[in-house]
Amino acid sequence: MNGIKGVVYRETRVLKSRFMKTILSSSVSPLLFLLAFGYGIGRNSTVGQTGYIEFLIPGLIAMTSMNQSYGISSDINISRFYFKTFDEYLLAPCAKWEIVVGEIIYGILKGLIPVLIIFMYGYLAGAGNIPNILFVPAMLVHLIIFSMLGIMVALKVKNHGDQFAVNSFVITPMIFLSGTFYPVEHMPLAVKIIAAVSPLTYTTRLIRGSVLGTDTAYLFNFSVSAVIAAALFWLSLKIVKRIEP
Amino acid sequence: MLIEAVDLVKTFDKKDAVSGISLGVREGEFIALLGPNGAGKTTTVNMLSGLSKPTSGRIYYNSKPFTAEDISLKKQIGVVPQHNNVDRDLTVAENLRVHCKLFDINDEKKAIERALEFSGLTGHMDKTADKLSGGMKRRLVIARALLHNPRVLFLDEPTTGLDASVRRNIWDFVRTVNKQQGCTVILTTHYIEEAEVLADRVIIIDRGKIAAEGRVEPLKESVGRAALDIYTENGIETLHFADRQEAIHKLESITDEAKLRDVTLEDVYIKITGRRIDV
Repeated sequence: MNGIKGVVYRETRVLKSRFMKTILSSSVSPLLFLLAFGYGIGRNSTVGQTGYIEFLIPGLIAMTSMNQSYGISSDINISRFYFKTFDEYLLAPCAKWEIVVGEIIYGILKGLIPVLIIFMYGYLAGAGNIPNILFVPAMLVHLIIFSMLGIMVALKVKNHGDQFAVNSFVITPMIFLSGTFYPVEHMPLAVKIIAAVSPLTYTTRLIRGSVLGTDTAYLFNFSVSAVIAAALFWLSLKIVKRIEP
Repeated sequence: MLIEAVDLVKTFDKKDAVSGISLGVREGEFIALLGPNGAGKTTTVNMLSGLSKPTSGRIYYNSKPFTAEDISLKKQIGVVPQHNNVDRDLTVAENLRVHCKLFDINDEKKAIERALEFSGLTGHMDKTADKLSGGMKRRLVIARALLHNPRVLFLDEPTTGLDASVRRNIWDFVRTVNKQQGCTVILTTHYIEEAEVLADRVIIIDRGKIAAEGRVEPLKESVGRAALDIYTENGIETLHFADRQEAIHKLESITDEAKLRDVTLEDVYIKITGRRIDV
């Protein structure tokens, strides 16, 4: 377990040194989305029986925590290409899966930072729902998936430009087409198909269901998410095993 | 042999960076891999330290096959990369602590204190690494690589970019590691003087292959003991002689400007490859 300990210690120290920046980046964009979508457009709207702001808050949790956990890709990318500190992990006497698990734990911790902030926004906006216990496994599987996506992208791309392209062509569309801001059921077929292959769709449903207490086929969505997480772990491990300076 | 490499090949994009290097390193030896940039020194070290996999060939540590997955053997290896790969946001002590955790060092506090004392960084332990000078960062990287008491230390171009006084300071530091701690050292360099001053044995690498190897003095004697640089209209022409007397005798018959000097490893490199070590 020395690999996990080393990776988590290093990443959390780096996170500590940039904590305020992480807090700020977790606070600003959800606030803007809340103002634009929640107050600007959907203040008096409802989604089924639910007020739009109540509907939006879990979506913002899903989006912002995803951004933070997937954002470890930039950290890994910089440590790999610029500071070369990732080589220390590769030289360490540990199994490669320990590096993956260490980075996942870091992604989970980073992804949890915005959760409290957005709940606070929810209370201030009069949509302060208390999540049920299913929120914990929902957030875990959500953050595990996007941490692993971050690891894979960081280790597969050949430079910072490639990373930016992945963010523009995969991550941003995923945010808008996975039911975070509106129900996918009302969208055209093409969007429904994209939503069906996006992991964010399933984890957003899990998070929303556990926050609003609505029936969202929790078991089905959790099973799909767990299968995606297992597949991504296998792929991440394969990539880490092949990685060279 | 502590380390034995047999016919190592590493290919990038169908081009050989290393093409058939075989070498042996005895316990406690100080070896220098000497060659110009792009010769394949770093790639060789990366394969020997488990950082990259050979395209073909085999590596043995104490006659035991070595792979990048071999955890027990990796515990015996320390690596100082070309780049000062410290975490700039972390303090000196935190940088060392990361390594302690990765290498499962039991008494972290003691190991860190020892490393700080050895590297002369005790007074800087709470400084973030970005506040250190280039020489101090280098010493931190070397101290970090030694935290787990490795049997083998790989140093990849340890003094590149450092000024002369810092370079000598690093040389003393590395020599102590080899002579006092008995750590086997494999160093890559393109500095002739560095290889001559530090190494028990030099392996000259050119275009991914070993061009020559041996102890410093016999290698130089294979070319001669004295060299005469003659400054002609077409550039410098170098002649080698068995001794200084022979060179002085030749000097008397030369009308161009000329300079008599001792043979260096660069003469060996030029004689074998026909080129200078351009850095």
